[in-house]
Amino acid sequence: MDLTWPEKPTLIGTKVPRLDGLAKASGRAKYPSDQLPEGTLFAVMLYSPHAHAKIKTLDVKPAQGMPGVKGVVAIAKEGATLRYQGDDVAAVAAVTEEQARDAARAIKVEYEVLPHVVTEPQAMAPGAPEIVKGGNVRKGRSQDKGKADEELAKADVVVEGKYALPVITHVCLEPHGLTAKWEAADKLTVWSSTQAVQVVAGELAEAFQIPVANVTVLTDYMGGGFGSKFGADVWGRTAAELAKSTGKPVKLFLDRIQEHLAAGNRPSATGTLKLGASKDGKLVGLIAETHGTGGSRGGSNFPLPYVYDVPASSRSHSDVFVNGGGARAMRAPGHPQGCALMEAAMDDLAEKLGIDPVQLRLMNLPPNDPRTPIYEAEVKIGAELIGWTANRKPRGKNGDGPIRKGYGVALHQWGGGGTRDKKVSCTITADGTVELKSATQDLGTGIRTVLAIIAAEVLGLKPTDVVSNIGNSTFPPGQASGGSTTTASMAPPCLDAATKARDALFAKIAPALGATPADLSLKGGRLLIEGKPSISWKDACRKLGTASISEMGATPEGLASTGVGGCQFAEVVVDVETGVVRVKKIVAVQDSGLIIDRLTWDSQVYGGGIMGLNYGLFEERIMDPTTGVMLNPDMELYKLAGATDVPEIVLHAYEPDDQKARGVIGIGEPPTIGTAAAIGNAVSNAIGVRVPEWPMSPRNVLNALAAASKDQEGKA
Amino acid sequence: MRKHDPKNGEEPGGASRRDFLRGSGLAAASAVLTGAATTALDEARAADDGPKVLSGEVEITLKVNGEDRKTTVEPRSTLLDTLRNRLDVTGPKRVCDRASCGACTAIVDGDPVYSCTTLAVTCQGKTIETVESFDVGEQGVPHAFHQNDGLMCGYCTPGFVTACKALLDKNPNPTLDEVRRGLDGNICRCGTYIGVLQAALDAAKAMKGA
Amino acid sequence: MNAFDFAAPTTVEDAVKLLGVPDAEALSGGTDLLGRLKDYASSPKRVVYLKDVKALAGISGDATDGLTIGAGTRLADVLADKAVKESYPALWQATLEVGTPQIRNMATVGGNLLQRPRCWYYRAGNGLLAVKDGKSLVREGDNRYHAIFETDGDALFVNPSSLAVPLIALGAKAVVAGPRGERTIAVEDLYQIPKSGKDSELTLAPGEVVTKLVLPPAKGLNASYEARQKQAHDWPIVLASVNLNLDDHKVASSRIVVYGVAPIPWRSKAAEEALAGKLLNPESAAAAAAASIAAAKPLSMNAYKVGLTQTVVKRALMVAMGNRYWEG
Ligand SMILES: Cc1cc2nc3c(=O)[nH]c(=O)nc-3n(C[C@H](O)[C@H](O)[C@H](O)COP(=O)(O)OP(=O)(O)OC[C@H]3O[C@@H](n4cnc5c(N)ncnc54)[C@H](O)[C@@H]3O)c2cc1C
Ligand code: FES
Ligand code: FES
Repeated sequence: MDLTWPEKPTLIGTKVPRLDGLAKASGRAKYPSDQLPEGTLFAVMLYSPHAHAKIKTLDVKPAQGMPGVKGVVAIAKEGATLRYQGDDVAAVAAVTEEQARDAARAIKVEYEVLPHVVTEPQAMAPGAPEIVKGGNVRKGRSQDKGKADEELAKADVVVEGKYALPVITHVCLEPHGLTAKWEAADKLTVWSSTQAVQVVAGELAEAFQIPVANVTVLTDYMGGGFGSKFGADVWGRTAAELAKSTGKPVKLFLDRIQEHLAAGNRPSATGTLKLGASKDGKLVGLIAETHGTGGSRGGSNFPLPYVYDVPASSRSHSDVFVNGGGARAMRAPGHPQGCALMEAAMDDLAEKLGIDPVQLRLMNLPPNDPRTPIYEAEVKIGAELIGWTANRKPRGKNGDGPIRKGYGVALHQWGGGGTRDKKVSCTITADGTVELKSATQDLGTGIRTVLAIIAAEVLGLKPTDVVSNIGNSTFPPGQASGGSTTTASMAPPCLDAATKARDALFAKIAPALGATPADLSLKGGRLLIEGKPSISWKDACRKLGTASISEMGATPEGLASTGVGGCQFAEVVVDVETGVVRVKKIVAVQDSGLIIDRLTWDSQVYGGGIMGLNYGLFEERIMDPTTGVMLNPDMELYKLAGATDVPEIVLHAYEPDDQKARGVIGIGEPPTIGTAAAIGNAVSNAIGVRVPEWPMSPRNVLNALAAASKDQEGKA
Repeated sequence: MRKHDPKNGEEPGGASRRDFLRGSGLAAASAVLTGAATTALDEARAADDGPKVLSGEVEITLKVNGEDRKTTVEPRSTLLDTLRNRLDVTGPKRVCDRASCGACTAIVDGDPVYSCTTLAVTCQGKTIETVESFDVGEQGVPHAFHQNDGLMCGYCTPGFVTACKALLDKNPNPTLDEVRRGLDGNICRCGTYIGVLQAALDAAKAMKGA
Repeated sequence: MNAFDFAAPTTVEDAVKLLGVPDAEALSGGTDLLGRLKDYASSPKRVVYLKDVKALAGISGDATDGLTIGAGTRLADVLADKAVKESYPALWQATLEVGTPQIRNMATVGGNLLQRPRCWYYRAGNGLLAVKDGKSLVREGDNRYHAIFETDGDALFVNPSSLAVPLIALGAKAVVAGPRGERTIAVEDLYQIPKSGKDSELTLAPGEVVTKLVLPPAKGLNASYEARQKQAHDWPIVLASVNLNLDDHKVASSRIVVYGVAPIPWRSKAAEEALAGKLLNPESAAAAAAASIAAAKPLSMNAYKVGLTQTVVKRALMVAMGNRYWEG
């Protein structure tokens, strides 16, 4: 019989607190950056102060003589070119961190400073210094569907708008890095703050030419990754190298500045969009010219058109190269940008057409798409929850007092499917212990607890009865946590492992109970035996004697799926005299198949909305064109919401039975996609003017208002 | 290489604070001062005229979670780096290292402060409480965070829990608005605020039940 | 942070003595100094801790006779003071909005007044004026948070002290102890616009410490209003404090001071003049606010601050009148 999710679950879909929640909340959880094996040395990176420079000479000797210093490595070579402020130069390990910092500064580097470009306007200006061969702007092939120009020429209504979103950085609270300890000349243990223990293990094995089996990467906990922590990175290899050369454990975590500069970012997005529709609101065509920067790496493209059915489109995107740290995947890579641009144009179009923005969206969902009825249902729910019809006024009709209220909406889509090659082992021992093992890791998404819930459901136990061991690269292959794929990859093999373990247990102990396996079932911590009194789980396991059960779960068909959608609504108030925007309410409606832990699911959706709120209102990496450095590599002028900035958030899990039947789908990314878009639209609804640049800061809002009133004067 | 010898020059009598400074002015034998360049003369003068000037490495005792912990720091060592790197008290986290995020929050003499922006040498004789000392039972703040999922990656969590505990100690009956303001010195990147706010309100209730 | 020597005196006299060597800097709450040291924007050879000087902390007096606030008083203690809350709301409100609960538990009034500018070019190690090869990094660069007044010179940063603004509006005096004894100066005289890279924006001589702030008796109306991007722990973009003495509903004298617009806490004489002798009402407030920006010369990226300043000045005056029209 095919394995299926239990029809009447008692745990799955309920709110189960995390297994490791108390450890985290009581400060007892030891993160990689908390590890302090006996004799640990502290390592500090030296990184480029310049946006673009050649290393003329690099002399680490002065550092070697400094107090407490045990090891120094040059990472960059003389003659090498450094491509951004924060690019790695060297590292020092010393007895105290203070000593290591002093020593890193004592390293003598002579730089030949090269011309730089750090902002897109700077990189795109005529005569700008070329920082990559072939020019700073790499135009991709235009992606065309139909003849967009002809369709727009025929369209009843066309809007043209320019919209822009800045580069933002991940700001994982735990910095990138690891603690490395050599157990023997060819045997390495590291505690790494990573989203992929096995990738880190593989990279370190390769770097040191040792068998991957000799590398143990441990990540019991980790303080946030959001897409930026998939590898060992230069600093991780450097820490291991310093540990090797000094014969001591070495701990190396980036400081906050380098964290901003070098540990990844979400590319910017700027686009001119021409969107046309018929009088009755049917989209006919889109022409979009966009660009963005992923720093020195490219990779700034994003999906556009987004969500809606655009019969004819022409899209060209240019990667702009600047002297900035390389982009890394960041929570739903590309989607927040594509969503914001598309949804801004949709709103501007709705305004010109005189059609309600919600209606315009509903009218233009792709026909014959299985997602369309889901979106329709979700938008209806969301509109109701925010009070769209009752509260929303047309754009600019929100009174003439200083405080204007506005409403906005955005739709999003995501995959969230898993891989099919991951494994979970389930071991049951005679003392009643149930242990799950897999080399995946918990970024805070709750996978540790999700696995325990599944096993507990199958074994009739409580989740806290299950030991859920993950975060160890030597365990059975587990999913790297990215793309919202972890749960969809790991839940099926977990169900499989627990089911096989249960069946093996039944087979093993049935004879001793004078029953057949078919007579046995598990419920409420007891073994039920057809026609006989039940016994406790422990007593049942005791029948194993000296044996134990160990089963490996693989991925059967039909337990996971991919493809989710959802919508978000925002209510804002804008003070038009100060430009200050406050978000009052966010409504998030989200589908994601079968939900395992509703508590951690809620947290993901809340958190996605708050991250989107940051993108909408506060965040931007600010680069200085003259000196080439980042001006706000901190958590002060790099602004992030605090408790008073967080609005009421109403969430709705869209999970009718046909959704549950789809099986497990990831949820990490989708709920952050549409928030900034919805906020942008709510602001323009409130003040009657499009604020074309995110974040919705007082400066951007006041500038948009000033430009509009100048326009008015011009027309008058 | 400079040493401070308490026998050098007069000791101003009286305040216990000075006694501490005097007593801890003994530089470890390995003390090497890289940045300081006050001449021995200056120093002798200062020593003659008033309180001891510390430099190099200094032995101090900190009262952390009720326990006297002896360790060696430099005058510039922050309380946070001292707790984490020297005393293996890793509840407080280093995140911004600039008084902007709250992850390093510790309660010093009853007030929540940023330990990343506090010098360890200024904390001798004070009561230092970190999250590790809090009640983990059902009446405690950690429990409320756990039950409300006021944490995801959990790296900001010790700071939030500490700020919350300090808030409730002073204001056992906070309104939602007071909770928000009281936790405004902490930042969570995962976005756990909804659970955090509820946790604070629940913890207030639970503590009253105690 | 470079290594330094450290001393913790318990008397003002010792503090002054200890600070009387080259490259010594006082440490109070540390919320400004330690960040600057970590950024290597400052590297004193000696740090003198003031918080053990008990005489520096505490509030005495009352609204009728005037209030004395020790320079070592923590912002949290200023907020807890009934007289401040009831009679000097301009100071109370501005203090309430500084930083975070933790910062207010650490930071002191003296440290707040004497904190160094947050200009990101200065903090990145380009010097106070951030002039490089004869060019102003601020003028050519990202100056969204910089000055809009007195922008002809090279000092384009803004004074960072939220407390200086109400204290100047209230006419507070600072008592300064130094190697040459004690002197009392107006709080506004703690600040100057540096003419060259060698000047400081602060006027204290080496070795001097501020011991207390003396506020005159509270008469008339005073209020503060600030605009900021985030609600939580953000700096003001613009903050204004007003102090008005009324005579028969007419403004007999006033002080209007603005944060975030100039290298010094900006006393808007133009606004004060516009208000002089006028009935205090929304119209005169609006006129004073309009006058306050007449001399503004914004930089390339901060024109938005001009209108914002007008609003903030107007609203501070409206708060003083008890009219928070924007709250509906
Ligand atoms: C995230 C964040 C947000 C902030 N927001 C604001 C804000 O909105 N408004 C605002 O005003 N500030 C703000 N601040 C700054 C903070 O208020 C100041 O750093 C603080 O008030 C300084 O006081 P302190 O006692 O900590 O000073 P310290 O850092 O100890 O000292 C500051 C300076 O003053 C000198 N000094 C201190 N006391 C004396 C004295 N008695 N005599 C002579 N010199 C002395 C020191 O030598 C030093 O140079 C913020 C800071 C942060 C980190
Ligand atoms: S680490 Fe101390 S406040 Fe951020
Ligand atoms: S839980 Fe991850 S930063 Fe708060």
